[in-house]
Amino acid sequence: MHDASHGSQNQLLVVYTGASQHLGRAPLALSDGGPDVVDHWTVEDGGRLLFLLVRHEASPSPAAFIDAASSCYQQGDAREQQSWLRAVAFLPDPARFLPLVVDACRTNILPLFESVACENPYPARHFPERNFNQMVLKALFTGVALARILGLPERANPELARMASDYADERRAAGRSIPVDIALAMADRARTRTDT
Amino acid sequence: MKIIDPHVHMTSRTTDDYEAMASAGIVAVVEPAFWLGQPRTQAGSFVDYFNSLIGWERFRAAQFGIWHFCTIGLNPKEANNPRLATEVIEMLPRFLAKDGVVAVGEIGFDDQTDAEQDCFARQVELARTFNLPVLVHTPHRDKKQGTIRSLALVRLLGFPEERVLIDHNNEETLPIVLDSGCWAGHTIYPNTKMDEHRMAVLVQKYGSDRIIVNSAADWGISDPLKVPKTIAVMRAQGIAEETIARIVWDNPAAFFAQSGRFDVSALEKRPDMDRRQKFETNSVLRGEPAQAHR
Repeated sequence: MHDASHGSQNQLLVVYTGASQHLGRAPLALSDGGPDVVDHWTVEDGGRLLFLLVRHEASPSPAAFIDAASSCYQQGDAREQQSWLRAVAFLPDPARFLPLVVDACRTNILPLFESVACENPYPARHFPERNFNQMVLKALFTGVALARILGLPERANPELARMASDYADERRAAGRSIPVDIALAMADRARTRTDT
Repeated sequence: MKIIDPHVHMTSRTTDDYEAMASAGIVAVVEPAFWLGQPRTQAGSFVDYFNSLIGWERFRAAQFGIWHFCTIGLNPKEANNPRLATEVIEMLPRFLAKDGVVAVGEIGFDDQTDAEQDCFARQVELARTFNLPVLVHTPHRDKKQGTIRSLALVRLLGFPEERVLIDHNNEETLPIVLDSGCWAGHTIYPNTKMDEHRMAVLVQKYGSDRIIVNSAADWGISDPLKVPKTIAVMRAQGIAEETIARIVWDNPAAFFAQSGRFDVSALEKRPDMDRRQKFETNSVLRGEPAQAHR
């Protein structure tokens, strides 16, 4: 733990990586069911968040912490990046990591995308509308169930409804099936219809 | 039939692919610079990538009897890293000046962010400076909107539309592109984008003017023989030979000839296939004796 809080950046990276060997990938299972996001975490995910939190406590400046935390993401392998993305909403002042999280959505590695888009409060809390909409559309594209996106009903908006509807048209024109849960992305349109 | 695959990422493909492509009639390929599947963290990675497109990949293709050309640009996905994007765009001129670079590209939109639009516009200006045509990638997500935005930007910048190839079209975007003066590329993929049968239907509906097909084969699920396979389907659907030849040869040749660096008459002869040749001391033989090959 001392390496994580007070060690050099390299020592922190070694500890952060080593979580998989020292803590393992058993389910974290903190709560007894319910919608808690950590239900989907493993023990190493929890440990890695803890390392970042103690690092924050011991960091001499915000810049030093941003640098250390960002390098855990940037130098991480896919599993480490997954842990980082699952936990970023719980770091102090998480909005400052927005560029990294938005960029992570551009990945073609599906589990990495899921670690941002699914069972994670971060996008609904911090993504600007355009990035949030792109993420929802990517979920549709990659067959990720929209029900897994936290806060989607609250963030539904006319532009997202328009994008989803265009996507349905494009699929129809190509003679392809339309995802059954696409209506979740068009919630805003449905709401407008009932209002008027 | 002689074929040009005007969009294929050979860096990700094997020598088996090159052999199969050559025997299926592919005479020339254009390899656009694109994303390699994971983020590049420094501008130096682009220097090495661009150099390999201009040198090593061209050499490798020639060893299998295929002419290799490339397009150079910063792809829209990586345009979203502002520090890196500026560094990369600043070094583009020295690559755009090289022989074998027949367009600026792939540029365009991915997430349709302001950063992407900025890099798109700056690279269209570079195309003007270097008198090169432009290859525009259209996004997977929100494609119709992305296509409309791309055309609007080209128009806003006053760049000649006949020097722009808008790629990865589908049923929804093709009529929009044909209404402009731009060329319309179609990527024939195993699962996504466009398939051979849908392509044949589009040709029956819209003809062959400014229409191009490619495989865009890369590191993902894709097939470098999709252009010859599309020819087979078009034939089976009764599309005339001269229409097919326009789509797979005349059109891409005419588009890239606008660079002044794509001489169609030089493609009449296959490149020299002497495999004892070396590129910077490396050959494709991997230690085998040269006589083991034809």
